[in-house]
Amino acid sequence: MKKFLAIGLTVLTLAMLLSGCTAKKDGKVFKHGFDLDYPPYSYIDDNGEVGGFDVELCKAVCEYNGWTYEAVPFNWDAKDAELNAGNCDCIWSGFTRNGREDDYTWSMSYSDNTQMIMVPDGSDITTLADLAGKAVGVQTATSAYDLLQDSEEGQGELAATFSSLEIYDTYTIAFNDLQAGGIDAIAIDITSGNYLMSSTPGYHFLDEALGSEQYAIGFRKDDTELCEQVNTALQALVDNGTYDAIGQKYPEIYEFLCLKPATAE
Amino acid sequence: MTFGTMLSTMAGGMLKTVLLFVLTLVGSLPLGMLVVFLKKSKFKPIAWITDIYIAIMRGTPLMLQLLVWYFGPYYLFGMNIRGYKFPALLIGFIMNYAAYFAEIYRSGIDSMPVGQYEAAEILGYTKFQTFMRIILPQVIKRILPSVTNEVITLVKDTSLASALAYQEVFSLAKQISASQTSFMPFVIAGIFYFVANYLVAWIMNRIEKSMQYYK
Repeated sequence: MKKFLAIGLTVLTLAMLLSGCTAKKDGKVFKHGFDLDYPPYSYIDDNGEVGGFDVELCKAVCEYNGWTYEAVPFNWDAKDAELNAGNCDCIWSGFTRNGREDDYTWSMSYSDNTQMIMVPDGSDITTLADLAGKAVGVQTATSAYDLLQDSEEGQGELAATFSSLEIYDTYTIAFNDLQAGGIDAIAIDITSGNYLMSSTPGYHFLDEALGSEQYAIGFRKDDTELCEQVNTALQALVDNGTYDAIGQKYPEIYEFLCLKPATAE
Repeated sequence: MTFGTMLSTMAGGMLKTVLLFVLTLVGSLPLGMLVVFLKKSKFKPIAWITDIYIAIMRGTPLMLQLLVWYFGPYYLFGMNIRGYKFPALLIGFIMNYAAYFAEIYRSGIDSMPVGQYEAAEILGYTKFQTFMRIILPQVIKRILPSVTNEVITLVKDTSLASALAYQEVFSLAKQISASQTSFMPFVIAGIFYFVANYLVAWIMNRIEKSMQYYK
């Protein structure tokens, strides 16, 4: 009896594996690599499904090109390993191109972004200089983190004046710590910061920005053809209004979307 | 970043890993023994509470426990948690590992034949003397391999401290790897962990050998 069960299970597993293979053969599968905890660009939405501006835009690109969309959520630290191993075709998750120009093949920039300092209302910090001697939080491997590490072109010298720079795995924990009073401020992208503040009042940005940059889609260096196909699709979606329509669903980032219809340029 | 800077930065992280590791052991090894006594308490409510404690410590992820220990005082009592990160980490690790060590100790104590207690009683040993002079030395000898397992796991579990922004060697490896787009930091971290665990295994092996007084 056990033997039959074992054989049956083996056959079943093989059949599942084979059917999995055949399913992938019809049409190209576009594997969208993103951080699952980076709202409003990519996150788990209220229905428990993958959502966000980047996810919706990527799905629209896939639909336009006739590709099958496949979500590949990863740990942000592991993005390069995932991309180079071929587990995903691109990194598309509020991904900053500035300072990484030579590391990837970049699509056109589809969103502007600025790094800001977020503090609780009533904080005595009003300028970047006031951050001296304060504890500041940041998420690892983000552009705000890179900016604070870079002493030549970034804000490394400013970071040296902090009493400590606390490096978190996600901004969610960093924001919890800011609420709990464990740290004084957070260095964060303006769009992610707006998203956090939209659900929790009582926080504001300093007027002075920490730095500014553009978001784009990063492909493997030799994937220029794929990048071109996505660029073409992106421009078409901008021209037919889809880009704008998706953007309007995300008011906290809408003003930063920087692609314009071809006729307007 | 040169290889030398990378290595020295990560060695700094390894020191923080070792610090957390040593302090956790110093706290949890004795605390585990206390937990066993509470669990074996004749006063049942204490035994029940200890059971619940062990069930929670073993039944939930350590990373979650660390977050609760750190943020708990603020969310429950509105306390100021400035500067409480490292104490919270220590409490989290010690409480968790004490539960595991307690179960290992219990397995050793329960494996002792009743005849030994009876013989000790007839020879006039008090309960305390019986435990300290007859039972405990045998228990330690029996449970050492299990304790070694747990200690080695602890070396690797310290990487969970990154949940509270503690810059131990693995979170440093992740950060350096991301900023340098290089896999090398992970290789270095792997070697650091391996060497540390090899050392732990070697020391524990020496202790085990020193206890084989009947061979």
